[in-house]
Amino acid sequence: MLTDPNFLTRRRLLRGAGSGLGAMAMAAMLAEDSRGAALPDPALPRAPHHEPRAKNVIFLFMEGGPSHIDLFDPKPTLNKLHGQPMPASFGKPITAMGTAGNTLMGSPRKWAQHGQSGIWVSELYPHIAKHADKLAVLRTCQSDGLNHAGGVGQMNTGDILSGRPSLGAWVTYGLGSANKNLPTFVSMIDEREPFGNAKNWGSGFLPASYQGTLFRQGETPILNTKLPAGQTDERQRNRLAFLAEQNREYGLGREDDTSLDARLRSFELAYALQKSGPEAVDLSTETEETKALYGLDQPETAVFGRNVLLARRLVERGVRFVEVYCGSGSGWDAHANLEGNHGKWCKASDKPVAGLLEDLERRGMLKDTLVVWGGEFGRTPFNEKGDGRDHNPWGFTMFFAGGGVKGGQTIGTTDEIGLRAIERPAHVNDIHASILWLLGLDHIRLTYLRNGRAERPTIVGGNHMVKELWEG
Amino acid sequence: MNRRLFVVCAAALSLCAPICAEELAPYNFKPQQKRWWAIQPVVKPAVPPAASGTVNEIDRFVFDQLKAKGLQPAPPASRTVYLRRVTLDLTGLPPTPAETQAFLSDTLPGAEERLVERLLASPRYGERWGRQWLDVVRYSDSDGFKQDDTRPNMWRYRDWVIQSFNEDKPFNRFTREQIAADELYPGDTKALTGLGFLRLFEDEFNQAHIRLRRQELLNDVTDNTAFAFLGVTLACARCHDHKFDPLLHRDYYRLQSFFANMHIDDEAPVAPAAEVAAYKAAMEKYRAAAKPVLDRIDALLAEPRAKYRKEYFERYPDEVQTVLAKPANDRTPFDWQIYHKAITQIEVPDETVMGKYFKAPDKEKYKALQAELGPFAHLLPKPLPVAQIMRDQAAASPATFILKGGSIEAPLQEVQPGFLSILDPSPASVTPLPDLNSSGRRTALANWLADANNPLSTRVIVNRIWQGHFGKGIAGSPNDFGLMGERPVNQPLLDWLTATFTTTDGWSIKNLHRRMVLSATYRQASDFRQDAANTDPDNKFLWRYPRRRLEAEAIRDSMLSVSGLLDSKMGGPGVFPAVPKGTEIQEGRHWAKSRGDEDEYRASVYIFARRLVRYPMLQSFDAPLALDSCGRRQETVTADQALELMNGDAAAGFARALAKRVANDAGQAPDALVSRAFRLTLGREPTTKELDRGRGFFSKQTQLANGQQGALEDLALSLLSTSEFLYID
Repeated sequence: MLTDPNFLTRRRLLRGAGSGLGAMAMAAMLAEDSRGAALPDPALPRAPHHEPRAKNVIFLFMEGGPSHIDLFDPKPTLNKLHGQPMPASFGKPITAMGTAGNTLMGSPRKWAQHGQSGIWVSELYPHIAKHADKLAVLRTCQSDGLNHAGGVGQMNTGDILSGRPSLGAWVTYGLGSANKNLPTFVSMIDEREPFGNAKNWGSGFLPASYQGTLFRQGETPILNTKLPAGQTDERQRNRLAFLAEQNREYGLGREDDTSLDARLRSFELAYALQKSGPEAVDLSTETEETKALYGLDQPETAVFGRNVLLARRLVERGVRFVEVYCGSGSGWDAHANLEGNHGKWCKASDKPVAGLLEDLERRGMLKDTLVVWGGEFGRTPFNEKGDGRDHNPWGFTMFFAGGGVKGGQTIGTTDEIGLRAIERPAHVNDIHASILWLLGLDHIRLTYLRNGRAERPTIVGGNHMVKELWEG
Repeated sequence: MNRRLFVVCAAALSLCAPICAEELAPYNFKPQQKRWWAIQPVVKPAVPPAASGTVNEIDRFVFDQLKAKGLQPAPPASRTVYLRRVTLDLTGLPPTPAETQAFLSDTLPGAEERLVERLLASPRYGERWGRQWLDVVRYSDSDGFKQDDTRPNMWRYRDWVIQSFNEDKPFNRFTREQIAADELYPGDTKALTGLGFLRLFEDEFNQAHIRLRRQELLNDVTDNTAFAFLGVTLACARCHDHKFDPLLHRDYYRLQSFFANMHIDDEAPVAPAAEVAAYKAAMEKYRAAAKPVLDRIDALLAEPRAKYRKEYFERYPDEVQTVLAKPANDRTPFDWQIYHKAITQIEVPDETVMGKYFKAPDKEKYKALQAELGPFAHLLPKPLPVAQIMRDQAAASPATFILKGGSIEAPLQEVQPGFLSILDPSPASVTPLPDLNSSGRRTALANWLADANNPLSTRVIVNRIWQGHFGKGIAGSPNDFGLMGERPVNQPLLDWLTATFTTTDGWSIKNLHRRMVLSATYRQASDFRQDAANTDPDNKFLWRYPRRRLEAEAIRDSMLSVSGLLDSKMGGPGVFPAVPKGTEIQEGRHWAKSRGDEDEYRASVYIFARRLVRYPMLQSFDAPLALDSCGRRQETVTADQALELMNGDAAAGFARALAKRVANDAGQAPDALVSRAFRLTLGREPTTKELDRGRGFFSKQTQLANGQQGALEDLALSLLSTSEFLYID
């Protein structure tokens, strides 16, 4: 927190001002954590429920739905059935594009087992394959979202409908901040806005101060961090202190409106960001070797690579949850021309992701940083438009690495064509519960009272955590 | 079936549709589907009795519901608060000190009514409320996709929207002009601009697969028409029957077929016929006079033009080449659509041709010839004002097929234009308009959308206006009245307002505003009450006024206004205020260099709306990208916004001007300065405590900034950044 005496923080205000107790009571009434505390201050660290295995998360979101059966889940039977209608025994699903009657399409990929563990990775991910022994490949992910809006929404908020807090917001609520000068939760995009836009890093019904911060695309992820000409730090601090007092006074009797409190805080965070933001996002101090590791030296990988490298820098500086989109705005959505589409996006992501794993390990950060890779769903074994695949939320792959995850294992089995999870299915809510668990949070106890209901990140699900991730 | 053959068959089918097309069996909706609230006829419900505090019918509905829930309405807000609220709400700008003075001293009955009339008559009203419609129709000044080319005359539609709101154009007329102005009001060049609504789809000039592009474009228009007017997610029925709502796969294409004949017209003259004739005559005169020179230019360009044409013709797939090569008389309506979309890549401006083939000597020759044209330049008429619209290409339309999985390669049955089957399963009655060279289809659609008996379009607009005043619609999801959307909190109120709107009120949006902003419901204080919050924490039933943050445009415009910088000029091409360095906006590609005052101080609705990037300050405060219909904006609180206010050039400029204004008005005495700054920004005197604080701050900043001017700028910027300034309370 800021140390300048003029710069009143909310905590100090609550302590000092006559209304403080009222405000605390209000906060407690509005937000009842299962541990009975008042509304936690997002700017302070909070104790987890249990000893955490991971301190940070870098969630690499391949938006649009990467094809698991072309990347991590080889299906020889599918190749044998190529060109034939899907046997009825697999059970015809309802798909987004109504393609379930189409013929099956084998994967033309070359496959190999990698590392000591023999994890299967296709030729589309040659660099990532080198880190096979770090990966826990979960082949049986399941979502309820048939389409992108629902799928992306659920992977971020647990629900296909809007209105719920994003996972990063829950983490911010549960663990508070681990740094003084940066947001706790940052999102970065590389193309268009993702489906659902700000709700993917929004705070839903949680107070607004738990929402994520979207970094801008382009050279300057955080704009306006330079003091205007003629301004000095002291002058600005005094100005902000005056503003804070006006805003605090305006907030009296309006404590229920969390956006006002969030606005008060937004200036505190902005002030801090102005000091440490430029340094955090300045890649000039990275060596050329590191930059090349993330693919910054090649146009195909530079945009996503830059964001992934930024993610490492942020995590290093105590940002807890960084979500980095690859192909934001449904890049991976290969309804047609899977070859061209995945050719592009696999290329864009392979080196940067491998570079991240390598770099984190070198720096000794991998043990504390959970890396998650995946999209909102996978893709169907039957073709769409001859050379594409439709959405498959019934059995798709994500992988996890670092952050206490036991690498070199494959978890779960899909059917012989990769349409559905058959052994050890893991619903998005289960996956969220698992990520939270690794961070030291119990999804059942992480609640927020809303309209008389103790809401949790997993709604009513998450009862089948993927314990293999840490138990192996 | 081979592709070319398919096109031919498709065209043939369109001629004998009733005989060849496989009949679609009528769909039997389940009773449960027929009970969907939004499709029930709008019947004016009985108004609950007047009660303590009720002013008009809205209050009777709202207070009645509050009572049933055991809740009490809030007492009225103070007159100062009401003035600020309603002024921001209707014009997007805070009241000036003079306006505040005038309202507070008007103690005669009817002061509120007079205030509201004044605000509704302000040109700023249309700029604010027009913007809300522009969100819904995803208005943009550019194409989108990678290239994101500028649409140089799209702004006329934006101006048409603003003007329509200012004129209080009845909403049924507003609807008709956007769907079918050319057919319904031939010769009315003002109305014609409304057809820009149909031209707002994303597009890219450089497309090889024209047939697919045509389909995507039609999909976009179909989706958006359904969102904007019907408030339904018909887009979900593109590939299959809607999973939740009784919207059929066929309905998507029935609705789409109203637009199937469309033709992009980016140069639709919007001048009176006489002006157009005069222009043509003048052009002919010019051409005749300059003929010798023009002929030599043509001769110089003949070969490169032909070369260009050949090269780009050959780039097309066979199916497009075939269409382009056909004799005009042989082209089917479908062919013509392919033709029009394809030809623009072949018949390009001379500059493009020259850029590609001209060597230095040719360039010199061309330059010399241009110089020779100089003496004739005075004969050139002023360019005609043109609008970018969509209209029909001819009276006959190409056939529309249900597409399996939305794929053009998988056509199923043919469909005729029709509405949502659950409302009317029979084909729409369409009368072709050969005199206008138009199919008449859009007339049928426009009339249906503008029909008082349409249960969706009527409720949808009333709900949007409610949302504009109360932050949230009576039905919370304005673009989705379906089962996955939010049900109306108070359907009798929505229905009463809707029925009144389409009958007594003559589709007048301004009447809707009057009813809403003069209601006791709207005039309530926004204060928190624990007892009420226990029952209704989200204020769903409106036991108080719902405070909300101002929208991006209103924030910037309010700052411009209080600092005295706001340029009240209306309309015209989009402007380009300077953008900070380091954003994804590239000057030259996305943005033009600011020309100074004329770009910097215009109302935000006139800032150039590039589809893929937004002016950063507006982006920070949640202005949407124009990719999809935005029914309701997000309201975020971010450090980005704070930094914009703390360090942004724009905010600093506004503060500087405001400081100057304050000094000019109030002299040098600190108390007078502080007081004036409060009155200009927050519309009220500072409290004693605030005056003390302000004085102390001013004195300390005077030291830190080495002078009063810097101190005053800091005070100004601080007040512009307060929550009180940024919220409607």
